[in-house]
Amino acid sequence: MTVRALQVAVGLLAIVAWELAARASNPLLYVPPSAVLPALRDLLTLRSYPDLVAHLLLTIQEIAVAYGMAVAAGLAVGFGLGLNRTLGRAYGPLLAALYAVPAVVWYPSLMLFFGLDAASKIAFGFLLGFFPITLAVLAGIRQTSPHLILVARAYGASTATTFRKVMLPAMLFTLVGGLRTGLALAVIGVIVGEILGSKNGIGSLINHAYGLSRTPDYVALVLVTLVLIVSTDVVASLLERRARKWTA
Amino acid sequence: MSRLGIVALQIVTLAVLIGVWEAVARAGVVDPLFVPAPSAVALAFTTVGATALGGLGDTLVKTATAYALSVVLGVGGGLVLGSVPRTREVLNPFVIALYGMPKILVLPWIVLLLGFGTVPAIVYGAMHGFFPILVMVMSAVRDVDPQLVTVARSYGAGTGQLYWKVILPAIVPAVVASMRLGIVFCLLGVLIVEMFAGIRGMGYVLGSLANGFRAAELFAATALVSAASIAIVLSLGALNERLSHWRS
Repeated sequence: MTVRALQVAVGLLAIVAWELAARASNPLLYVPPSAVLPALRDLLTLRSYPDLVAHLLLTIQEIAVAYGMAVAAGLAVGFGLGLNRTLGRAYGPLLAALYAVPAVVWYPSLMLFFGLDAASKIAFGFLLGFFPITLAVLAGIRQTSPHLILVARAYGASTATTFRKVMLPAMLFTLVGGLRTGLALAVIGVIVGEILGSKNGIGSLINHAYGLSRTPDYVALVLVTLVLIVSTDVVASLLERRARKWTA
Repeated sequence: MSRLGIVALQIVTLAVLIGVWEAVARAGVVDPLFVPAPSAVALAFTTVGATALGGLGDTLVKTATAYALSVVLGVGGGLVLGSVPRTREVLNPFVIALYGMPKILVLPWIVLLLGFGTVPAIVYGAMHGFFPILVMVMSAVRDVDPQLVTVARSYGAGTGQLYWKVILPAIVPAVVASMRLGIVFCLLGVLIVEMFAGIRGMGYVLGSLANGFRAAELFAATALVSAASIAIVLSLGALNERLSHWRS
């Protein structure tokens, strides 16, 4: 048998096993796949949660704002610390130390500051997205060969030209990877924020379904959220590929 | 700038930041309900210190348990999947999918299944730590130079010797790197469960301080858990150095 066939078999076996096990157990805790499909249909036809679209749009808005801020701040801090040796040596380690702290410890403070509405989710998404972008810029600058910059300078390239023609292509690979990771983490940050406490957004619906033990609806909502998460990553990976083609 | 100068710059920056924060808070520019002055935060250590330390201890015990589980299962699973190419090829997409799946989405289900308290925190923390360790160990075993294995075999090394003398030393850097990554993830997972559905532990302490609008105490507790996790990561880094000596 080929690997692919075995994979399909393992996948099918898992689904069948889950179905059988779930049917034999408490329906509030275990949801068989056969119960997920009707719940998903009810969700998508807006019967179980009529305002699903509004919640989804709010979550997407929060992600967009959080990511936009993370990109702006991440690039600014990354280039600021990367292009200035003294600043980099002084503040780089402080940033790295903060990165070692599981970000969720900041969330209660953010919730206190910004309240239960969108602002605290945006702040948390921003915080999660900011670090990988900053670190990618720093790594990218570090891996740019100083010889290339020296040669470009020696041939009379201006700072702007050196940056655009030498540094940016050399670091693009790392930078784009960081931007992609940043997006993934900003998305997770917003959703974690919503699940830990919110009144609106897809995370609040997940919490609602969980709180009422509407487990099939919960699974359906999780699937919809997964689609949102995976599709942002697919868009990011397409952009990443294009950017990489540009340098190659 | 000299090393000493860098350290001085770091200290001066932190001092200035704290000074400005203190001045701003004292001048009443920000509401002390949300942004307490550093002096108030320092004072809050005396009131919240015992509770926070107790919570931290509780959290660290759960984290250590989750960590032990994820290291044993992750390294063990990684060794198996890394050594048996056929199984690895078939299961790889499932491992990657589970690794990539945002764990926050299954958090409500874990709590529904395992209730409040210690067990869901350990399970959820172990889920966070397990996958990065599994994947990193798996690829490290896969990438062990096959020549080394062939030579050891042709000199008559048994399976035990092969693993102990060839494969294990070869994968030590990857294992240690994955263990460093894993501990932060375990701590993250435990803290999230405690915030979401805790009755004890640091995550619960942080959450209830935020809900009670006790900002100064919240900041003090956040500082405490941050310092603890930075200390853990640094000491694992030191251990890493030691082990790399052993290897060579």
